Formats: sequence, structure tokens, C-alpha cells
Amino acid sequence: MTEYYKWKVIGILAAVAVSLYILVPTLFNLKSVADSEYAAPAGLARYFPKKGINLGLDLRGGLYLEMEVDLNEAVKNRVDVLITEIERILPQKDFPGLALARVAKTSRVRVFLPADKRSLFLDQLRENFGDVLDPVLAPTEINFQIAGGGDLADLLQKVAALLKEQNIPFADVERGGADNVLRIILGQPGTHEPVLQKIKASPLGASPLGTQLTPLPSSDYTVLQMTPEYVQHLHEMTLKQAVEAVRNRIDRYGVAEAGIQLQGEDRIIVEIPGVKNPDRVIDVIRKTGLLEFRLVDDSVESQAVSDHINEAREKNKIPEGYSKEIVDKINEGLKGKIPEDDEILFELTRDPITKEVVNGTPYLVKKRADVTGDMLRTAQVGVSQNEPHVNLSFNKIGAKNFGDITKSNVGKRMAIVLDGVVSSAPVIKEAILGGQAQITLGYGSYQSLLNEAEDLALLLREGALPASLTIATKTLIGPSLGADSIRSGINSMLFACAVIFLFMLGYYKLGGLLANMALILNVLFIFAILALFQASLTLPGIAGIVLTMGMAVDANVIIFERMREEKRLGKTAKSIVESGYEHAMSAIIDGNLTTLIAGIVLYQFGSGPIKGFATTLMIGILTTLTTAVVVTRVVYDYFIYKRRVNRIII
Amino acid sequence: MAPNNNNLAAAPAENTGFPFMKWKWHFISISIVLGILSVTFMIERGLNLGVDFRGGIKLVYKFKEPTGDGRIRGLIEGLNVGDVQVVRFGVETENSFLIKIKQQEGREIVKEIMARLNQTLGPDGFTLLSEEMVGAKVGADLRKRGFFAMGLTWLLMLVYIGWRFDFLFSPGAIVALLHDVIISLGFFVFFGKEFNLPILAAVLTLIGYSVNDTVIIFDRIRENLKKLPASVPLSDLVNRSVNETLSRTVITSLTVLFAMVVLFLFGGGVIHDFAFFMVVGAIVGSYSTIFIASPVYLAFNRLFPHRGLVRGIGKR
Repeated sequence: MTEYYKWKVIGILAAVAVSLYILVPTLFNLKSVADSEYAAPAGLARYFPKKGINLGLDLRGGLYLEMEVDLNEAVKNRVDVLITEIERILPQKDFPGLALARVAKTSRVRVFLPADKRSLFLDQLRENFGDVLDPVLAPTEINFQIAGGGDLADLLQKVAALLKEQNIPFADVERGGADNVLRIILGQPGTHEPVLQKIKASPLGASPLGTQLTPLPSSDYTVLQMTPEYVQHLHEMTLKQAVEAVRNRIDRYGVAEAGIQLQGEDRIIVEIPGVKNPDRVIDVIRKTGLLEFRLVDDSVESQAVSDHINEAREKNKIPEGYSKEIVDKINEGLKGKIPEDDEILFELTRDPITKEVVNGTPYLVKKRADVTGDMLRTAQVGVSQNEPHVNLSFNKIGAKNFGDITKSNVGKRMAIVLDGVVSSAPVIKEAILGGQAQITLGYGSYQSLLNEAEDLALLLREGALPASLTIATKTLIGPSLGADSIRSGINSMLFACAVIFLFMLGYYKLGGLLANMALILNVLFIFAILALFQASLTLPGIAGIVLTMGMAVDANVIIFERMREEKRLGKTAKSIVESGYEHAMSAIIDGNLTTLIAGIVLYQFGSGPIKGFATTLMIGILTTLTTAVVVTRVVYDYFIYKRRVNRIII
Repeated sequence: MAPNNNNLAAAPAENTGFPFMKWKWHFISISIVLGILSVTFMIERGLNLGVDFRGGIKLVYKFKEPTGDGRIRGLIEGLNVGDVQVVRFGVETENSFLIKIKQQEGREIVKEIMARLNQTLGPDGFTLLSEEMVGAKVGADLRKRGFFAMGLTWLLMLVYIGWRFDFLFSPGAIVALLHDVIISLGFFVFFGKEFNLPILAAVLTLIGYSVNDTVIIFDRIRENLKKLPASVPLSDLVNRSVNETLSRTVITSLTVLFAMVVLFLFGGGVIHDFAFFMVVGAIVGSYSTIFIASPVYLAFNRLFPHRGLVRGIGKR
């Protein structure tokens, strides 16, 4: 009698009972397994687990999104806020003529102020913003005098290309103040010298013909830079906030069971099962609700603005459209044509039926937003005179800034910018001092305006998401494909089972029957473990189970072949079984461990459905070892020791 | 279970005793030819990378009326979206097609295609089964991770076999494994199938399966090395081990093959290609286990005779 015989029997029976118990919701609710909803018979229901097997998105149908959070944008926005804060906190009388400006594409701020005030300013800064901003001592940019003329835009591109070619870290190449000054913003402080050398050595610096660049002395201003710790902190906070915002939005949109998680350094994964209108969900998630109130600059004629844009589009071969990339390119092309602290943003006109963008109206607006979404306290839908609108109320800073700006700009227009798109640009009728404002929407049917107002308010309520989200990958599985997949998955599982059954039975007779029993238990255990840990069953997961079924019998095949060898040697039943199992063990363990290694690597590197495959494969290997080795052995032991059978049919 | 006095038993078949090691060069030649063909195919046609690895848009539509890929391609090419690939998805009766397109900045290609199909086939003429969009950056990322995973699995197998057996066994397993992956991929490329994430999963699985198969024979070689007298020449010993495990190799390969063929026929479009790869892989994997792994082990043993598990060479 093998050791622990009794305990093995008890263990196996217990495992079967527990598995069946766990699978009750799945088994008794086969139809609605597809929805993963559980509606057990009343009364008895409370004695059973609530959840069946958790079906993956590919079986249920649904939407899988991987979104990238624009962390640079978060830094940029925070620099804007810091500038406002510095201006607010520093005593105005001590720093007459203080001016602050964000440096494009970096986390730096330029500070212009009289030289005798510099040390006082830095003292104040250290006191109030010591852990956020540091003064940069080394030069962070180089200005060049351009001689020989030529096309400035072309020159900027050439210099940028040169730097890129030489692998020199640089943040930007731009027009520096005057028309004949070119500015290189260094990517890392301290790379001043090498950049200078490279330019000098290049045709641009040396050639007496054509364009020539001569370095100008370093500018007379201080540069502040966000500390690396703070940038790190900002990234973390932004991601956390973005996840929260996405979750809130999806929740408020009314989708239950959405899975949201962080992946890698800047990605958010969203899984929404069985979604009916994916485009609207994506819209709601993605709109960052980055709300800005920016003054419209009316100093340039709108006709002139349009002309400049058309010119820039033609010259730089910018494709049609108004996406973020395209608007950025247009602004790139407009450098020098419009005031430096302005940029172009568009208000989009949509076809009322197809909802496609048909036109964009350009607005020349201030780059800096004086009021942003994080200064917003609430946003609610209101209806007056049968017209839906959005009511806003601001917090203390917001109310103050909003009051200041509206007071001194009555009669001008204020663009309400959402995600870099002008949603409207109402004229400021009066100074808005109480911190309450109202956005009225365009024209349309009552229902569509109400929808629009609701969506807008929903976004605004989350507060400003500090960065925009771009969709990195999107997978949409239609419900019909999901249902088809379940059907074909189950069919192939049953069919594969049947084929293997017959084969094993035919080849090994009674031994085959035993292996088949083990196979059934194996599948039962796999499903039970899946349900227990609520791991997702995906279609590749079903493939994994089918593959496991094919391989599961392997352990038994190895054992049976061994037993046949022993039998050929004319041994007794007892010793056939004993040495059969004993000799087969090392091969079984080595064989299965190698497959397990592949499974672990797959799990580690796969995503979504592939992980599902790896999961079932790994579970399958573990259950196979139990059922094929332990269960079959117990049965043999029973017949040999308890029933004294002395012939093994194999 | 059998009653006590039952004495029915099939007479055990004797081991086939096929002289595998004697014929090894024939089989190795076949493999080399197949391998060269596969590599040629791969170089010439390239791995047809799916959108998972390259970035782009993949759409699967099911059509009500039977239709051909030419018609769909024609419809979409009219939209001027650049390179379009249209291939049948799953088996013919499913009447589904997979459309692959590159992403274009500032355009909503999926909506355009939807509108076009709507226009010509009517809203009831087709259903969108799935839509997949992968950004170029993510694609490159997945590609990198995928190939890293492949390399890692490979390395782990090498280490595992070296640790559990003997480092002279590792090359055999590795050669067999490369053999399987290359030839299966060759078949795959030959049939114009797309290399995507599920196929990468299939490759990793095949690696696991192939090594599994090989390990069982190695296990027997290891056992025989300890058991048989040193006078038995190594090539005979290997041949004997292969023959002893032959029925097991064939039976397990058959059950896996059955399972994968079933999956190929009934699993539906999504895992059609996965199953295809595994069917080829199961056949090639079993073949290499018998005809490639063991001769390579033998060859390495001749190259690096050493003590331990290894015995004297050339005592014939």
C-alpha cells in the first residue's frame, strides 16, 4: 500500500467537491455566462459563490483601450500655474518690471528683472518655491545673430536637423526676440560649449557666403527649472489623477465593470465589456477636460490670420485637418508672423448629422491661460428659457483671476478652450467678480444641446485633467464575434475531448478509460481554478485548455508505456504499477517544467488575451500533474491492494 | 477495472528497432533543405507583421452575402487610404474578411470605410466583428518585447536542460527547437499568414512543447547511460532510447495534433492561424525530437568527450 493512500482519496474527493461547488454559478447559468451575470435560483443562491467564470473581453465583446498620458503637457501646464503663483506671492512693489515666461518644450521659466534685484528674488524664490524650482546657473540657451538673410523658417529647420544629426540634446530652435536672432534652447544645461563648437564648425557658422550665425553674449536674465524630484512627483500625481479621472468619467457614463489600470510609465489601460456606443465612450474618456479661459488677441485682423494660416499650410505642406499635431505644425509655421505670446487655436464646426468636422474657425489667443480648469469648483447643467447651458463657479484664485481679467478686458472676447479646441469665444460683457459664470452653447435641437451640456459638465466636474490622453491602442470586439467565439471555443473543446477519449480508450483500453477520467477531472479543476481566482477566460485561453488536453494525456502515456515495458518483462501487477510510475516521474516532471517555463515567460510578456492563454496553460500543467499522476495512481492502488487484482490491462 | 480473473491482454508490440542513428544524415539533409527553404521564404517575403507589431488598423467584417476579397479591396481602394490588405478571416463559410490599413494622421479611416460599406452594401449587409488600432510606438514596443520573450525562453530552456541533464544535451534541444521554429515559420510565411501576438504566443508554446518532447527522449538516454554497461556504444544507446520512447512520442504527438486540428477546424477565425501554426509545429516538433535532437547530442558528445554522464566513445 502506498503511503497516505487514504489521504489521497479524501483529498481528491474534496477537490472535486470544492470544484463543483465553485462552478455552480457557471454550470447553472450557462446562457448568461456570456454576460457574466449571475441569476441563481432564489433561496439556495446565497449558499453558493456569486461569480461564475470571468470571461475575457474577446469572448464577451467590448472595448479595450490603452491610453498614453502626455506627461510633458502636464509639466508645461504646471509651469504656467507656477508662473501665476510666483507673480501672486512675490510683493509687487519689490520687483517692478518683473516678467516671467515659460521656455517652450522644457520645464524652465525665464525671469526678466533688473540685475540689482536678482539676489533678493532668488532669496524669495528659495523661501517659497525651494523644493519646486531651482535657479539654473549654466547658460540654458544660445542666441545667434543671423547675417546674410535667408528664410528664417528654413534656417530653423536646418539648425534643428544639424543638432539632431549630431545627437546633441536640444529642446527647441526658435526665433529669438528679433527677426535676425536665432535661439537654441538646450536640452540639458551645461551642453552650451559643445553646441557652440558644432555650430561654429558647421557651414552655418563658418561660411562667409549665404547665411552666417554669430553667437551673441548670454542673455541677461535668470532661468528657473523644476527640480527633478518635483518633475518625478508631478508625473506620478498626473498619472494617478488621470486614472482617477478616467474612472470617474466611465462610472458617470454608466458603464459598470470597467477595468482600469496603470501600465508602464505613462499608460492607462481601460477595459469595458459589452459597450454599445464605443465612440461616445472614447470621446468622454479622452477629452481631458483641460479647460482654459484665454483672451482672444484682436490686434491682428482675422482676415490676415486666415491668410497666414493658408500660407503656412501651403508652405509646410500641412495636411487638412485640425488634430493636435496639425495645429502644432501650423503654429510652428506661423512663428514670426504673430506675436510671440500668441497662438492659433480653432473652433470646429461639425456636420450636425455625421458629426464630422467640416470647418475650423481660427482664433488668435494668448498662449497663457489665466484661468484653468483646476480653479473651477463646479460645473452644472442649467436650463433657462428652454435652453441648456453650463454653469460654472470658481474657487478663490479662479474667482480673483477671472475677476481681474474680465475687469480689464470688457468688450474683448474670452476663448473657452477645451483640450486645445475653442468651444466658444463669448464677448466679455462685464467684469465677472463673483466667481460665477455661464457657458451658453451654440445652436441645435434641445436634446442635442442637453447632451452636449451634460457631456461638457461631466468633463469639467472632474477638474482639469492635467494632461491629455492619446489612444495608443484600441481593440473593439463586437458582441456577435464574442458569442461566436464562445460557441466555437466550447465546440472545439468538446470535440477535441471526444477525439482524445476515443483514441486513448482504443489504444490503452481500461488504462485509457482511467486517463480519460483524469482528463475530465483536469478540465474540471482548470475551470474551478479560473473561477476561484476570477482570472479571465479568453479565446486563446480556451485554445490553451485544448492544447492542455492534448498534452495532459502525455503524462499518462509516459506512465502506460513504462508499464507496458514492465509488463513485457513479466512482472507482477504490483511491481508493474510501482516501477511504471517511478520510472516515468523524472520524464514527466522535466517535460512539464519546460512547458511551464514557456508559460511563465508568456504570462510576463503577453497582454490581454495572450495572458489568458498563458494562464490556462500554466494552470493546466499543474492540474495535469495532479490528475495524471496522483488520481490514476490512487485508482490503480485501489484495485491492486484492496481488490487484489493481479492483471493490468494496458 | 478488470475483474480478478480476466486475462485479456494484447500482446505487447516489440520495439520497432528502427536504426535512426544510421539514417540520421538522410533526415538531417531533409531538415537542412526545409530550413533553407524557410529562411529563403522569410527573407524574400519578410514576416508579414500584424498591426500588433507594426502599428496600424485592423478591421474584421462579416458579410451577409458571399463576397470576394477583390470586391472589398476595390471598395476601399476608392477611398485613397494607401496600402490596403484584405484577407479572408477564418474558414470560407464564415464569410468574414480582415482589412489591414495604415493609420493616417488626422483622418478617421474606420468611419470612412464604415460609410463606404454602408453606401454600397446597406447597413444590414455587414457587421463589424472587431476593430483593432495600434499606435506605431506601441507596435515597436510589443515587437521588442516579443522578440525578447522569445530569446529569454530559449535561454531558460538552455539553462534548464544544462542543469537537469548535462550541458552536452543542451545543444541538441536548442538545435531541435530552432529547427522547429524556423520551419514552422517558413510554412507560415509560405501560406501568407500574418505574424501577430497570438502567433508569437504559438511560437513560445511550440518552444515549450518541442523541448518537452525532446526532454522525454533525453530522459531515457540519461537513464540508459546509468543502466547499460559501458560497452554499449553511444550511438546504439541513443538509438535504443529513441526506439523505447517512440510509441510515447507518436501517441502524444497524435493527441496534441488531434486537439490542434480540431481547434483549426472548429475554433473560429480568431485562433485559426494560431491552430494552423501549432498543427505544423506539432508535426515538425515530433519529427525533430526523433531525427534531429538525438543525432546532435551524439555529435556533440563526439566533439567534446568528457566524464560524468557521458561514456566512452567509439568502442565499437
